[in-house]
Amino acid sequence: MSQWFESAIVRAEQVNDWLSPVRAEALQTLKRASWPTRKTEAWKYLSLRRLEKSEFAQQQESAQITPEIIEGLDSLDLTFVDGQLVDLPADLPAGLSIVSLQNATDSVKQWAGEIIGDIKPERHLFGLINDTLAQHGVIIDVAEGVSVERPIRISYMSSEGSEAHTRVLVRVASNASVTVIEQAQNKHNSLHTSVAEYAIHEQAELTHYGLMMGGGAAMHVAGMHFRLAQQATLNSHLVGFGSELNRLDVDVQHRGEQADANINAVYLLRDAEVFDLHSTIEHEVPHCTTDENVRGIVADRSKAVFNGRIHIHRDAQKTLAELNNKNLLLSREAQINTKPELEIYADDVKCAHGATVAEIDKKALYYLQSRGISREQALVMLNFGFINALVDEMPHSALAEWLRPILRNRFASMDVQ
Amino acid sequence: MSYQIEKALHREYEAGFVSNVASDTFPPGLDEDVIRRISKMKNEPEWMLNWRLKAFRIWQKMEEPEWAHLNYPKINYQDISYYSAPKSMADKPKSLDEVDPELLATYEKLGIPLHEQEMLAGVAVDAVFDSVSVVTTFREKLEEAGVIFCPISEAVHKYPELVKKYLGRVVPQHDNFFAALNCAVFTDGSFVYIPKGVRCPMELSTYFRINEQNTGQFERTLIVADEGSYVSYLEGCTAPQRDENQLHAAVVELVALDDAEIKYSTVQNWYPGDENGKGGIYNFVTKRGVCHNNAKISWTQVETGSAITWKYPSCILKGDNSIGEFYSVALTRGAQQADTGTKMVHIGKNTKSTIISKGISAGRSNNSYRGLVQMHGSADDARNFTQCDSLLIGDKCGAHTFPYVESSNPSAIVEHEATTSKVSDDQMFLCQQRGMDPEKAVSMIVNGFCKEVFKELPMEFAVEAGKLLEISLEGSVG
Repeated sequence: MSQWFESAIVRAEQVNDWLSPVRAEALQTLKRASWPTRKTEAWKYLSLRRLEKSEFAQQQESAQITPEIIEGLDSLDLTFVDGQLVDLPADLPAGLSIVSLQNATDSVKQWAGEIIGDIKPERHLFGLINDTLAQHGVIIDVAEGVSVERPIRISYMSSEGSEAHTRVLVRVASNASVTVIEQAQNKHNSLHTSVAEYAIHEQAELTHYGLMMGGGAAMHVAGMHFRLAQQATLNSHLVGFGSELNRLDVDVQHRGEQADANINAVYLLRDAEVFDLHSTIEHEVPHCTTDENVRGIVADRSKAVFNGRIHIHRDAQKTLAELNNKNLLLSREAQINTKPELEIYADDVKCAHGATVAEIDKKALYYLQSRGISREQALVMLNFGFINALVDEMPHSALAEWLRPILRNRFASMDVQ
Repeated sequence: MSYQIEKALHREYEAGFVSNVASDTFPPGLDEDVIRRISKMKNEPEWMLNWRLKAFRIWQKMEEPEWAHLNYPKINYQDISYYSAPKSMADKPKSLDEVDPELLATYEKLGIPLHEQEMLAGVAVDAVFDSVSVVTTFREKLEEAGVIFCPISEAVHKYPELVKKYLGRVVPQHDNFFAALNCAVFTDGSFVYIPKGVRCPMELSTYFRINEQNTGQFERTLIVADEGSYVSYLEGCTAPQRDENQLHAAVVELVALDDAEIKYSTVQNWYPGDENGKGGIYNFVTKRGVCHNNAKISWTQVETGSAITWKYPSCILKGDNSIGEFYSVALTRGAQQADTGTKMVHIGKNTKSTIISKGISAGRSNNSYRGLVQMHGSADDARNFTQCDSLLIGDKCGAHTFPYVESSNPSAIVEHEATTSKVSDDQMFLCQQRGMDPEKAVSMIVNGFCKEVFKELPMEFAVEAGKLLEISLEGSVG
């Protein structure tokens, strides 16, 4: 049993605010839950050993850290430092409202209280922990028919020895559109659980970035959960750099016909980094589409875990769903565990998944070297070529431009045998 | 159309009759005494009994696995009888003429004639009836070639060294819940040994039949192919049609030494239960083979029966350049549930594996593929290709895929693909438009879907398998 988990339950009993009903329910479930071990299917490849005995400072001054600047990205910035919301954007465009969890007005509490914790599936243990412990969070509401041009960027920062639980709730009303960037930049020894829930209403459109770009000793368990109404569109771009313990659960629920979800994910791991991506796509109604592309490059002693599940419910006829996972394994000490799952209960559907694991094509490497390109450069080129298609698809070119040199540096530092 | 297919699937189970054979059956229940009695019935040496008891003690501490995508009421292991043998077999008939004619008639009815002269030349059969082997044909001819093919209970006496050396080496007692149970209570099964450099002159075959009520069948098969040898082994099974569920927990161990090749084919046709899921066999089987250097093991299975199928024929590719293959057709209908697939564990260098799995679900059934491909750090230049296709017939069934891929060798290449489709209206239209009747069209489409697997089956089995599917889909006039 985990000391940390026990202390979390004790602390959870003391939290009291307007979300208490949600918290109490989650706590009930948590108390019956058991701490994951290797035998727990959802945690088969990711050890929680380090967290089990960890202790973190509960109350501390929020450190003075500011998020990295992304040049050319004119964003509305929200910043969490050690779980506290330190920065909220002023002068918001018409039709966009952003309030902290604590300052929510009665009318916000009314609608938000109904869906908070409801979009996130109950099975996520750390989601439940977040339910009970996240006292800081933000509620974003985009009014009907409003297109928010400037992307909303949420930064997660942590200082040494901190424990943080943050919560994000986004409602995109019908015919509205918005871009939300979640960016984790934690590097220090710390624990962060983040849960973001997105309700995308009829014909609304969400462009989402989940940049899990912390690293080092930072432990981050994140949940990004999306619910799509009729003809809603989700475009999500995920980047995982891994850390000593880095886990992301992505859930998409198709609740209205003709909803469309596109998910692109890349993970690029080096040293002893670990990244565990679990995605579950629930097709509950007919005529929806999903296209999920996941690519990973795993070097040094790092370990990648991918579990991609597509679940077609009985009524979800005429579904089109595809999932693709491709991996490059660059080192003998590195490891890839992938499991693309299909669970299908409707007959008139088209579903496919594929997964591959291989090393860099030696012939391609030889070709480049024979044309006078150094081995190191050639490797960077080939690695880049492998994931570039997914970076290219990012609709915000400022983000893609900012990301490319970071990726290039990462490739250059990977040791290829 | 789907209504017509549904209707077609209400076919009778042809092997569902009961043979009227007087039997010695243990009362239900399982404890150490029962195991001692089984061992005594088989006249086993001390070491065998101790091996069983060790397995039993391990089993008592184990928990029944729950990870499979299956739904069935808890099995009460004390309600099952662990030994049943036809009375007539007690005085060990020396030849076929002394065997109870009712027993022979049973096999006759199943289409498995045991008189050698009536058989298709080239197949030797070991017929297992409940807990004992009734007869093993063509033994003399096989002995000429040096091939040992006999009931495992006999091998324990005649070839104790071989049995001791290999039994439990591939599937140890503590391997899993059902294997441990099998180790404790197994009653019969086949033992095969192919000496060095010998190519077995005929196909070997075992036919398993459950007859007695409330019994479980726990057979154990051990096949050892010595260096450079080759054997093709076939397995078939049926059971009477009854309202209660019966347990079948078998273990099959294959050892392919350097340069050897084993081809193992199964047509599994246990009683599947009725349309509403009443009755049927619970089939929990552990099958695994070890490949040494340059060896090859090929599993081919056609799974049409059983209420519950839990079965993962696996290959441990230990030796360099060894090859593992898995070809499977699993058809579920009515309320059947199947969770089946394979494990390919690549340890040696330059090892190769191929997995082709075809799942067909109809009625209210659920059909899952569950597989593992594991590339160890030592498996340089290893290669795997996996293809899992599902075909859904009707909108009340389910088809699922749970493939695990674990790789820790950069030079190893793993590819996995899965697709799901249905018998489409377009395909049906095309066939019908060309004058084919719809029944034939469905049968053709399904056969085409399974072709890659059927071509791996030995000839007689391929015919039987094709027929089985055809019967299943008969009358699907749309």
